[in-house]
Amino acid sequence: MALSLPDTSIRLTALVRHNATLMLREPGPVISRLVQPLVLITLMHPLYAAALAAEGAQAGTVQVVTGMLVMFSLLALSVVGTGIMTERSWRTWDRLRSTPTPAAELLSAKAVPAFALLVVLQAEVIAFGVAVFGLRVPDPALLAVAVASWALALLGIGMALGAVLRSQSELHVAYDIGGILFSALGGALIPSGELPGWARAIAPVSPGYWAMGALRSALRDQAAATLRDAAVLAGVAVAACALTAWRMSRGAPRSRLL
Amino acid sequence: MIAFEACGLVKTYGTKRALDGFTLRVAAGEIAGLAGRNGAGKTTFVEVVAGLVRPEAGRVRVRGVDALARPRTARAMIGVCPQETALYPAATVAEHLRLFGALAGLRGTALRRAVDDIAERMDLTDIAGQPAGLLSGGQRKRTQAATALIAERPLLLLDEPTVGADPATRAQLLAVVADRAAAGAAIVYTTHYLPELAELNATVAVAQAGRVVARGTQAELSLERVNALLVAGGPGREDGDGAVAA
Repeated sequence: MALSLPDTSIRLTALVRHNATLMLREPGPVISRLVQPLVLITLMHPLYAAALAAEGAQAGTVQVVTGMLVMFSLLALSVVGTGIMTERSWRTWDRLRSTPTPAAELLSAKAVPAFALLVVLQAEVIAFGVAVFGLRVPDPALLAVAVASWALALLGIGMALGAVLRSQSELHVAYDIGGILFSALGGALIPSGELPGWARAIAPVSPGYWAMGALRSALRDQAAATLRDAAVLAGVAVAACALTAWRMSRGAPRSRLL
Repeated sequence: MIAFEACGLVKTYGTKRALDGFTLRVAAGEIAGLAGRNGAGKTTFVEVVAGLVRPEAGRVRVRGVDALARPRTARAMIGVCPQETALYPAATVAEHLRLFGALAGLRGTALRRAVDDIAERMDLTDIAGQPAGLLSGGQRKRTQAATALIAERPLLLLDEPTVGADPATRAQLLAVVADRAAAGAAIVYTTHYLPELAELNATVAVAQAGRVVARGTQAELSLERVNALLVAGGPGREDGDGAVAA
């Protein structure tokens, strides 16, 4: 019997293809997250444009596009976390763990399709803003940095929740309440400056706050502010991914319901 | 030649000691039938050897490799078929086989050949394009076993692989298991169904309260006696290394 440790690239390719296939075979949640922000941007643009007219012609467009982008990408965390949770409930995670594949590779392969989804979602919303409402993108590369850092942070948070929480029920509570709360605190629904004082004070605990900052700064061509906020998001991503890898390498927590 | 040995494994969950000095050695080409009542520690033992659970004490060696110190190297030598069926409902039978074949290190022509071979042996060829979520119970059992058997491994851990399987599925699986043993693999086969052990000409180990209390060939330890041990709860304990229970 010939023995050899399989190459990382072979395993990763097989796992990424497998995870992408699983995601595409059940496209409902993905389609939902892609369509909803476009509908809301269209309906709410006149309101934001009128409310923020004093700040310039682009202000309302920037607010509604970045706000809906942040809110719906936070809600899209459910797609990421559910991918981990279902592996646990199907017991397939242990099957993968009993192969020579390290936990870091298993999680990376899970992350690649999810990261692609999060980038596509953001790119779609921005492209919609540009095409329909004349959103200006002064520096696409700077905006790409903001988009990528936010996608990484979302990915890390989604995977960490999928790894740490014990049931789909807990996951839904975390995503629905957390998504709305972090969106609102981050200034996605109401501009940060209009939030109550107490909310402004705690807003920086929300990753959405830094995402709104990075995206808005990128659309205003403010490189330093964009990079600062993107760095905070990258830090969130690293911490969340480390927590996920640690938790999943030890075996996932089991709910009575799983 | 001893291909696999587990010595003195201890694993505790809360106040329950699932493994309490579990010891088992299996030679290359040997099928070791592991019998025991529910809660005897069989599945925990399989999970420890598969690297899913870390014991508090003891050691595991697969072909001389310390599986606790070098788990990835050890896992590359182990095929695992867990007790519970664990498949992706949206993935087809062929996709399962290709995935687990690739994770086992097969690629290209070798992977395609292995997929075709195991699909034919386990009677999966006609349903290769069907999603697992649409399979019958027997088809799911065969698919799961095929993912564990697709690559030739020096050690196979089969945890009650025929529970709920129809006679045809059971016969197909036992035939493949016997072939793998003939090719030199060491096999740990847990079961409640003792006639399977006779059919496989397996040696027998009886687990009770987290350790092996009787061990031997079927000539030394008849299945009738094993059955009596299981029903009665078993006599005194023993070290589980090639000797017959008192």
